[in-house]
Parts: sequence; structure tokens; C-alpha cells
Amino acid sequence: MSGDSFPLNLTLSRFATGSCEATTLFHELRKPLLRYLTALGLSLEEAQDVVQDAFLSLHKHLARGGSRENIRSWLFRVAHNQARNWQRSYARRMAEPLDPGLDATSDQVTPEQAVLAKEKFRRLDRAVRLLQAQERECLMLRAEGLRYREIGEVLGIATSTVADTVERAVKKLAETCNV
Amino acid sequence: MCDGSDRLIAWMDGELAPTEAAVIERHVRACKECGERLSTYEQVSREFAGYYAAMQSAEASKRARPLARLLPVPAAAAALAVIVLALMPHPGRKQVPAVPQVEVAPPPPVVQQTSVLQFKPAAKLRVATRRKPPDANWTMAEPAIQIAIPAEAIFPPGAMPAGATYIASLSLAPDGWVQEVRLQQRF
Repeated sequence: MSGDSFPLNLTLSRFATGSCEATTLFHELRKPLLRYLTALGLSLEEAQDVVQDAFLSLHKHLARGGSRENIRSWLFRVAHNQARNWQRSYARRMAEPLDPGLDATSDQVTPEQAVLAKEKFRRLDRAVRLLQAQERECLMLRAEGLRYREIGEVLGIATSTVADTVERAVKKLAETCNV
Repeated sequence: MCDGSDRLIAWMDGELAPTEAAVIERHVRACKECGERLSTYEQVSREFAGYYAAMQSAEASKRARPLARLLPVPAAAAALAVIVLALMPHPGRKQVPAVPQVEVAPPPPVVQQTSVLQFKPAAKLRVATRRKPPDANWTMAEPAIQIAIPAEAIFPPGAMPAGATYIASLSLAPDGWVQEVRLQQRF
């Protein structure tokens, strides 16, 4: 967690406006950011620290009068770049298969359905780990609802590259999983 | 056979300009093969979205499960004590008897976790995270013997990643007694 302080030369109205906006965005985007960061391999604690730092950066950005456009991709980009500091976590995550945390004891899922769902999860997990990092990241951000332009802003690549990467990644998954 | 459109997924995602999207739409309606491809891509996208949504809980459960990770040193120390006690020589004996898993090896590589046990002839064990030398002139002996212990032999199933191994390095005193045992976790 960062111990940075806010600049003190802000006018109260601007500070309050920025703070309110950041708070609203925090409620909207905290969970998607946590989901993305844990998918990248960070532990929940690490992801929470990164998200907190990202919102602190956002608050400063807004308080400085920074652009209010594309805030979602701005936040994802900051979080993504900070997550890169945890390269070991990322490598570890991709080295170990994930076990689906599906609740087989739930009343709404029969044991057969639970087994099938787990098998599907494992098959997809194996296929996802065969993708290149950028392909995985594009798919994750796409699943998070980001547009290609926003994904490009997060990853620092052209929108056309995102389109090509998503196309390639989906086709690879379709082939590997025999869908 | 239709070569297909390399913009099917971008079209599916609503990422194409209206004119290009209209061309793809006409093609998909006319081409059965591309229509089937589109269904496949939609299914893969849905499955990936479900997988992605489940990753967080899967990751959390994976990390929460191995509670025994918090207890590797005491558990390993207990298991090791049994092994070492069996290896300890009788007074006057000069060499540790050969056992199947014992091999002479150079010092181990990367040390991730270390626990030091010190042994005395009276078989009194002391577990210390920070070892203090018995006297000022004491120097650490080179490990003479290493024993590979599979993690499955020490921990309950699932507590440790598959393939985790402990290396126990035994240093012998001049009189043949085990002077020091260094337990190292190697993944």
C-alpha cells in the first residue's frame, strides 16, 4: 500500500468533486479490477493493494484536473502496470492449474453437473495456459466488458492489434477445446 | 470450402464500422460454414467468460486450502526427527549406516525455507529458527549427507504442491555423531 499524501494546494470544491467521482468509480470498478488482477495471478491481498493504489492515483489524477475520459481503461492500465511488478505471481499462476471452486453440494447443481462443470473448467484452464500472455490479457479484458479501444489503451497496443489478438486467441481456444 | 472472414469475432463483438459490419452480416447469412464458425466462437466466448468469472474464487480456494503451509517446519521437523533418530549412530560408531535413500551430494542449491535442528548424543532435539553456535569458535560443517524426502511423506494430501521435496542435509561431527541437520524445502 502506498503511503502517499494528497497535494494540499487543491481547492476544496475540486477536491470534493474528485473525491466523489473517485468514490463512485471505486464502487463500480473495484470488483472488476480485483477479478482481473487475481486472474493475472495476484493473491487477493496483492490485488487489493494494487486496486487501492490505482484509485489513489486516480484521485490524484482527477484532483490535478486530469482528463475524465476513458477512466475505466485508465484505471485498468494503472492496475495492469502495477500488477506487472508481480511477475513471479503471474508465472506461478500460469504454471499451476486452477481447481474450479464449484460447490458440488449446492442444491441447484447435481453431482453430474458439478463433475461436468469442473471438467470443462479444467479443459479451458489448460487451453488458456497455452495462450500467449497478451492473448490471455485481451480475452480477460474483453470478458470484463472492455471495448477493443479500451483494451488497447490498457495494454498499450493498437486497436487493430487487439482485434487480431482476440481473433487468434478465440480460434486457438476453439481448436484446443474442440468446441 | 469458405475461407471465412477474419473479422467474424470483431463483428460478433460489435467492433466493426457499419459498412464493414453490413458486409460480414450478409456473408454470414449466406454462408452456412461461417454461421457454424460464429456459433463456435460465441460458445467459446461464453465459456471463457464463465471461466474468467470463476477464476477469482478458484484462486482464493486454492490459496486458502493448504493450511498446513503455515506449519511446514514443525511438521517436517517431527518427521525428520524420526528419520534422524533412526540414523543416529551408537557411541563409538564412526559412520552412519547406509540406507536406500541416502546419497552423498554437494551442497544443495536454492534454499527457500530452512530449519535447523541440532543433535546431541543424548538424542535431545532443539528446534530453532535462528541457530546460535555452541561456542565462539564453532563453524558450520559442510553437509555430508543429503536425504530427499517427498512432501507427500510429511504433509497431508493436497497440502503442498505436487512434486515438492525436502532435502535434509546432515553434518557429521568428528566422532561420527550427527552434528547438525538442515531441512530445506525445494519445490
